Amino acid sequence: MKKLAAQILGPTALVTTALTVYLGIWVTPQDVVQGNLARMLYIHPAAAWIALYVGFGTAIIASLMYLWPRTRSTAADHVAASAMEVTLVFTILTLITGSLWGRPAWGVWWVWDARLTSTAVLAVLVAGYLALRRAIDDPELRARRSAVLALVAAINVPVVHFAVVWWKTLHQGATILTPGSGILVHGIMAWTMLLSFIAFTLVYAWMVRERYRIAIRQQTRDDRELAHAVSARHSEGGAA
Amino acid sequence: MAATNEPLDVTPVAPPARRSRRGRSVAVLGGITIIVGVLISQGLVHSLNFFVTVDEVSAQRVTLGTSKVNLEGKVVPGSIQRSAMGSAFVMVGNGKYRVDVSAIGQPPQLFGPNIPVVVVGHFLTPTSTQFVATQIIVKHTATYIAQHPNRVTAPNGTKR
Repeated sequence: MKKLAAQILGPTALVTTALTVYLGIWVTPQDVVQGNLARMLYIHPAAAWIALYVGFGTAIIASLMYLWPRTRSTAADHVAASAMEVTLVFTILTLITGSLWGRPAWGVWWVWDARLTSTAVLAVLVAGYLALRRAIDDPELRARRSAVLALVAAINVPVVHFAVVWWKTLHQGATILTPGSGILVHGIMAWTMLLSFIAFTLVYAWMVRERYRIAIRQQTRDDRELAHAVSARHSEGGAA
Repeated sequence: MAATNEPLDVTPVAPPARRSRRGRSVAVLGGITIIVGVLISQGLVHSLNFFVTVDEVSAQRVTLGTSKVNLEGKVVPGSIQRSAMGSAFVMVGNGKYRVDVSAIGQPPQLFGPNIPVVVVGHFLTPTSTQFVATQIIVKHTATYIAQHPNRVTAPNGTKR
């Protein structure tokens, strides 16, 4: 069952993404105010959903599992690192698509409002996490320190989420799950947006899985090379 | 030279820690702190609240004077006058206070009547309602409505 799920993950992600593109470009109507610009609705919020909640959420849970002695494992560290790498991709995608949407809609590429600034901080923290991992050679020390950094960086997640509520931002408020109003998107536009969330989540899951598999292969290769080196030293010792 | 029968110690040992290696993680953490600090300071310089509303400014009119401000309000329908230099329009909030905006430069493509906008600029005098804007930024709402919700696709593919 697990193997089957892994096998269909990639194709399912591809199909849902293709369907999102088809509905987003050819089927959904224009927005009454934004016209065709509203088609960014099928990319930008889904990318942000992955960056802020799914990606960071995975990394936080995996980091907690690593720091908790009973659940500590190399796998948890690999999952956290893989999730953070993919999160960086989606955070950058969020910033780029937001900027591309902002220029024609707002009239500016960027403003220093609370939502945009906190999202940029998020990108720096994720990049910093990955930089820290490259700076430490000892695997255990690397896993422990990066897990702590992930949890520290998690403080920024609610700041990004509530920025549009706590402060007056140029960025719009919530469109979905709004208190009292539910979803503020019309008909098929809402369904296509929902599909984009599913498609991006599947793409994310596929990317993390593949990155995790690469990390495991790298570790296996490193372990094998170390075993070869030790064996070679033994041979040298025997020859002497 | 005496031969020795002692077994060769092949236990893997960690390489001696180099200062540069230890310093790298500190440098990374320092770098993150500096960049995050710069970003947050940029946000704070521009204020956590990106704008003040027309209603708020009506209460702070005297203290605000002619200092630079990001002012948010809705464009009054029928008030827009476009010229080669820019545009002039009236902006309101939820109350009765009205601000007459003279904006330099071309407004964004979504600018129009009933659209919420943020204008960057200053009041002409400490007591006037004349606002000189150097930039108009459109603040779209969180609501998305289909342009033609009742339009259907005919069997031949045309929209009706």
